[in-house]
Amino acid sequence: MIELIVAVLRTATPMIYVAMAGVLAQRAGIWNLGLEGLMITGACAGVVLTEQTGSVAAGLAGAVLFSVLLSALLWLVIEKLRANPIIAGLGLTGLGLGGTDLAVQAVYGSEGAVTAPVGIPTLGPAFGQFGLLDVLILAMPFMVFALWVLLRRTRFGLRLAACGEHPFAARSVGADPARMRLIALLLGGMLAGLGGAELSLGGLQIFSVGMTAGRGFMAFAAVIFGAGHPVGATFAALFFALVEFMGIKAQLVFGERAPRDFVLMLPYLATVLGIWISARLRGGVPLNTIELRDG
Amino acid sequence: MRARLAAVGRAVAFVALALVLCGAIFEVAGFSAPDMFAAILDGAFLSDGALAHDLRWACPLFVSATGVVIAFRCGYFNVGTQGQFYLGGIGAAVAVAGLPGWPPLLVTVAALLLGTLFGALWAFWPGWLRIRSGTDEVITTLMGNFIAGLLLVWVTSGPLKDPSGSGQVTASRPVPLPIRISSDTGVSPAILGLTVAVGALVWVLVNRTAFGVLGGLAGRNPVMVTWQGARLSRLGLGAFLLSGATAGLAGAMEVLGPDGRLVSGFSPAEGFTAVLIALVANLSVTGSVIVALFFGGLASASLYLPVIAGLPSAAIDMVNAAIALFITSRAWPSRFRPARFRLRRASR
Repeated sequence: MIELIVAVLRTATPMIYVAMAGVLAQRAGIWNLGLEGLMITGACAGVVLTEQTGSVAAGLAGAVLFSVLLSALLWLVIEKLRANPIIAGLGLTGLGLGGTDLAVQAVYGSEGAVTAPVGIPTLGPAFGQFGLLDVLILAMPFMVFALWVLLRRTRFGLRLAACGEHPFAARSVGADPARMRLIALLLGGMLAGLGGAELSLGGLQIFSVGMTAGRGFMAFAAVIFGAGHPVGATFAALFFALVEFMGIKAQLVFGERAPRDFVLMLPYLATVLGIWISARLRGGVPLNTIELRDG
Repeated sequence: MRARLAAVGRAVAFVALALVLCGAIFEVAGFSAPDMFAAILDGAFLSDGALAHDLRWACPLFVSATGVVIAFRCGYFNVGTQGQFYLGGIGAAVAVAGLPGWPPLLVTVAALLLGTLFGALWAFWPGWLRIRSGTDEVITTLMGNFIAGLLLVWVTSGPLKDPSGSGQVTASRPVPLPIRISSDTGVSPAILGLTVAVGALVWVLVNRTAFGVLGGLAGRNPVMVTWQGARLSRLGLGAFLLSGATAGLAGAMEVLGPDGRLVSGFSPAEGFTAVLIALVANLSVTGSVIVALFFGGLASASLYLPVIAGLPSAAIDMVNAAIALFITSRAWPSRFRPARFRLRRASR
């Protein structure tokens, strides 16, 4: 049981941090599909900077910095150039995936895995099986709670929700939706960078090209499944992590009878299931409301 | 005519903006941006045989892109082209493996049809979920891409595995020569003919049939189309099926043509590039022809860069991604036009 809790927490935490970035953007009225790109950027910057400087703090700072920079770029494109958020987000994801590949080749001259000498500090063997939990995992519940307070119990959070749901109303009470969205995206950039760093520095301390493998998109799905609520999104991410863990367990128990590739599909299937349930419960996107063409 | 010229100018301007961003990133990463672009240009269009390579990549890309045009015009963001493309490849390989001893021509036709069918089926379930319960199609199709990728790995390392293959990349047995529709160069009358036929059919469908015209209207104003009595669910499902079918056909073309076998993880950028082509062409079929030639060049440059110029092929991914980031921008032309209402997906 303890093994299960620790494993699920370790798998879910990176996704939860990234999902919180998605919640912030969702509240501000932006469907942030760039999360995958922010996550891999954080993962890459974290490991590369830790490897170069030998300090985890520098790695985490770099992860946050690059992720925030990309978030600012996304805001510029969506808000100032009025691009379609979904396509721009997918573009940002591509930029993150390609950019980290390019960066690894620029720094190390070869395409492969980068290993960091140190990882994020953990509790240590004194705590037995819980010793594998690191600082970011322990901070996760507090971060989620803090985000809930920020979104639901502060003036800023309520104004942010107003900007997302009815920008015109928000403007009429003096809130500037563009500025609120910038704040939400930058805050989200910090969290997504931390989530990416946790993915690479928290576990095996390795970064390999394309290692997020859709986890950022899953985090986005967790936002939808969790109805844009921090706690809901957290439980959705925990559910996806649980499914992944069960698959790995099933493979250990059943061996060859549980083919590896189908086991790997489970989290993606769970994600589809999750947003399907979400659409059934809360009503999905009834009509297509995207206009791409002019004239 | 002026509106069309403005659309072309806009696309060119934003592609240029994307290239500037890429150049800045190349410089930061320590590569010389002029050298990088020169190498890309060389690999894409100027070196010996570049144009033939360009066509080899442009044909499947164009066929996939026509499907994206159909779905996006209808207002559905089917970004699962990659998965539907893989399923098409699997369908073709299954037909080839399942019909031994049949006349080659029949097998070829059956493989193309089965690939098209598989692609359409892979677009069916996200479409069904979207139309029945409003499940967001962007996520379902994206997840479908990952699932299809794993399915492809399973097929090539399990049921259709080539036992003589090496361990690194798993693949199916090679498709027998008489069944294939082109040699390894990927340019043959059969492939060009198929591409032109698909292009012409989709052009007629989009511009000259009730389905295409109503679908295009539904993408702009679904409420109006419903009130006029069209069945939005039928239009939508049709758009999903057709876009999956073209992506599947492109996958089958790739397996029967230049690849000659089903390789796990083949053409990993196909889906994203096809979406880009459709968007840069402003969802027009005729425009997609020219844009597909441009992106086909980039695709062939991504093979040229690491081998000939010693530069990372990720540069091409960056160029594509940067174009995606900017291409839907609408701020620039709106200064010359009366203010239009803005539709935001999240503020429904």
